[in-house]
Amino acid sequence: MSDDQTRWHVYDVTMREGAPPLRARLAELLDLSDEEALASLRRLAAARMLVLQPGTEEILMAGPFSAVPTPFRVTLKAFSCYANCIWDALGIAATMQVDAEIDTSCADCGAFASISVHSGEVLGDGFMHFALPPRLWWQDIVFT
Amino acid sequence: MLFFRSEEHIERWCTTWRLDKGALIPLAQGWELAKVWYGEDRREPSWRRRTLEETEAVFAQLGFTSDFWNLR
Repeated sequence: MSDDQTRWHVYDVTMREGAPPLRARLAELLDLSDEEALASLRRLAAARMLVLQPGTEEILMAGPFSAVPTPFRVTLKAFSCYANCIWDALGIAATMQVDAEIDTSCADCGAFASISVHSGEVLGDGFMHFALPPRLWWQDIVFT
Repeated sequence: MLFFRSEEHIERWCTTWRLDKGALIPLAQGWELAKVWYGEDRREPSWRRRTLEETEAVFAQLGFTSDFWNLR
């Protein structure tokens, strides 16, 4: 078993269903013990390919997808899912190479915003704000 | 990275939360960044994270050349 296989299964489930698998399912898919699956996830997280949840060490982020609900809901023809941030919301449309509807809101005033990706073009007004420079993103990727 | 309706809303939010204003990118430019950053299928065996130099090249390609985007 290689970590590449783990990554393949993580993204295969995520890209077919919209959310990363729990570790127990991943262990079953890979025919691994829970300890072996956890060790593989930890290595992928150390390599910054995934982000794990504190405590449970289940997958929190398989960029651009989120394992938990966020203010960035993305609806595709196949499923609805959540992105980690507005950039990742656009990233889901990019990685899936399909049209997408993004439901979010202005972080300041809370006004609802609907953004579309249609035939390779983004439709909608507004801005993404990067609060931290990229050299600091991984110091606290959840805040980022 | 959060979404804002306008630059004015970003400035107000930064003031409220006592944060320095970072980089603001119009959605259309953000879409270009998303396509480059996430355009590859991460199931592919050949997929790997970009090196620092490759990331710098992506930023340069998109015109992100201010010190904010400096990785070193």
